[in-house]
Amino acid sequence: MTNLRRKSSLKRTQQRMAVLFILPALAVYALFVLYPLAMSLWGSFFIWKGLRMVEFAGLSNFSRLFVFPSGARLYGALWHNTAWFFGIMVFQNGIGLLFAWLLFLRDKGAAFFQSVFFFPAVLSPVIVGALWRLLLAPGGVAEWALNGLGLHQGSLTVLGNSHTALGMLIAVDAWNWMGLPVLIYTAGLRQISGQIFEAAKLDGAGNARMLLSIALPLLMPAIGTLTTLSFINTFNQFDIVYVMQGVQGNPSYSTDTLVTYFYRLAFGAEGAVGITDIGLALALGTMLFLILSIGTLMMLRFFDRRTVQL
Amino acid sequence: MSALVNAQRFVISPRLARLPGWTVLVVWTAAVLLPLYILVVSCFKTTAEIYDNRLGLPQSFAFDNFVNAWTRAHLGQNFVNSLIVTGGAVVLTIVVSAMAAYPLSRYRLGWNGIMLGLFLAGIMLPIRLASVELFTLMRNLDLLDSLTGLILVYSAIRIPFAVFIFANFMRVLPSELDEAARMDGAGEVRILFQIILPMVKPAVSIVAIFTAIAVWNDFFFPLIFIFDDRYKTVPLAISVFVGQFRTDWGLVFASLAISMAPILIMYCLLARQIREGVGAGGGMK
Repeated sequence: MTNLRRKSSLKRTQQRMAVLFILPALAVYALFVLYPLAMSLWGSFFIWKGLRMVEFAGLSNFSRLFVFPSGARLYGALWHNTAWFFGIMVFQNGIGLLFAWLLFLRDKGAAFFQSVFFFPAVLSPVIVGALWRLLLAPGGVAEWALNGLGLHQGSLTVLGNSHTALGMLIAVDAWNWMGLPVLIYTAGLRQISGQIFEAAKLDGAGNARMLLSIALPLLMPAIGTLTTLSFINTFNQFDIVYVMQGVQGNPSYSTDTLVTYFYRLAFGAEGAVGITDIGLALALGTMLFLILSIGTLMMLRFFDRRTVQL
Repeated sequence: MSALVNAQRFVISPRLARLPGWTVLVVWTAAVLLPLYILVVSCFKTTAEIYDNRLGLPQSFAFDNFVNAWTRAHLGQNFVNSLIVTGGAVVLTIVVSAMAAYPLSRYRLGWNGIMLGLFLAGIMLPIRLASVELFTLMRNLDLLDSLTGLILVYSAIRIPFAVFIFANFMRVLPSELDEAARMDGAGEVRILFQIILPMVKPAVSIVAIFTAIAVWNDFFFPLIFIFDDRYKTVPLAISVFVGQFRTDWGLVFASLAISMAPILIMYCLLARQIREGVGAGGGMK
């Protein structure tokens, strides 16, 4: 009886303490993340004058997004983000898998290579972008090296050329984050039982065969994590573009992304200087929010189903 | 057995067969280290010397560029601002997240599943898209142009990840730990800070490291919340700087080196924890 009473009083204390313990974190999180996010979604249905909500406007902001002059910017940015995502999937996560596989086969020195490969990921994308902008600039080290090797002649203008600029940014981004897939894949490979590889070897499978037929299906959780992370990061791309190509995504919007476009609409760098279009910005934000959440949920489901269990 | 398999596989010598793999790894190592090497040696060169001698060591190790970056470009002030913001956000995030994760992972409340889900959703919420409303909120709270404002925003963004990590580590501790302490009359606050938290030190260091990296590196929120030069953080200052002093390459390289120095030192000291932390939690950006 006393034991029971003590238990229920403990339960009451715990309920009270739990509220007190959770409150600070919840307050900060709700005020600075949940509230502004909810307000932005709500605000995308209104007409705005400057920073003031004026009148409910239904979906008119959204329909404005798709027509002139916004339409061209939107489709351009959407295409650049999509290309960026596929570029990262091939050049970062694909090559990262190869690196992880090579490290897994050797094991010796893996920690050293992992540390070196991961190092750029701890640097600010601003620093990475600024560094590569200097290296790739006309008169920079890359130009000098290519000229010296006879691979290129004259001034190197890859960042000023609308055909090559986006590709260069994707490459810099891949350089920045290459260590991430290497770490996640090697962790995944180590979880696979060594007996499976031994058995495959006895059956005469070569290294390439083992990677494609055994490791790859078993790495599905790691691939799922990386695909989802890359998707979220790609569609949030801003820093590298801002630092290397400016907020307009130079040259002539060829490196514009959804977030740089959003930033220009929201903080007044699109069109006439200093004029913002909050309604349009919030509609774009809401659309991007939908793309991100639906895309992420679909990917998580897709990879969850394809997880192979042994 | 394994030797037999190897003999069948590699008709040439096994060492030679491993050569392509090694080459690939060494080439990427060079691709990572070479730009950083150029960055470091260029810090000590004048712009003229950078053009004359791109790859070699500098003629003399002069610190003029560093002194100029620190004083003329006021990077010193930016550096202090970044330290305050990063330190503040790390401490605040750890304290409130550990407090929230403790009941959520160790009490039977009936509603802790829902609450944990609410926090975890934040790991994926794209807060940048709410920056207009966030800006209005910060203005109304008089938190624009303030380091406190940045600390609060960064903590709010990092709390979901921190709660996730803390809850994962706390959940697996044996329940006898807090029960015994309760028998001895310890209060819940004491149980958390003197018994549970010391037991999850790896979680504390993971949260500290990843919060520090994310906050030190961020550039977006200072860009929209900070206008006064006195409150600019390092990445924001750098982004202005690179355009402004474009012709003085030595100065720009030196400022880049200064701004990445703390992270570089931390990385060299904590590389192992960071590698393992990526496995435990992922979330970097």
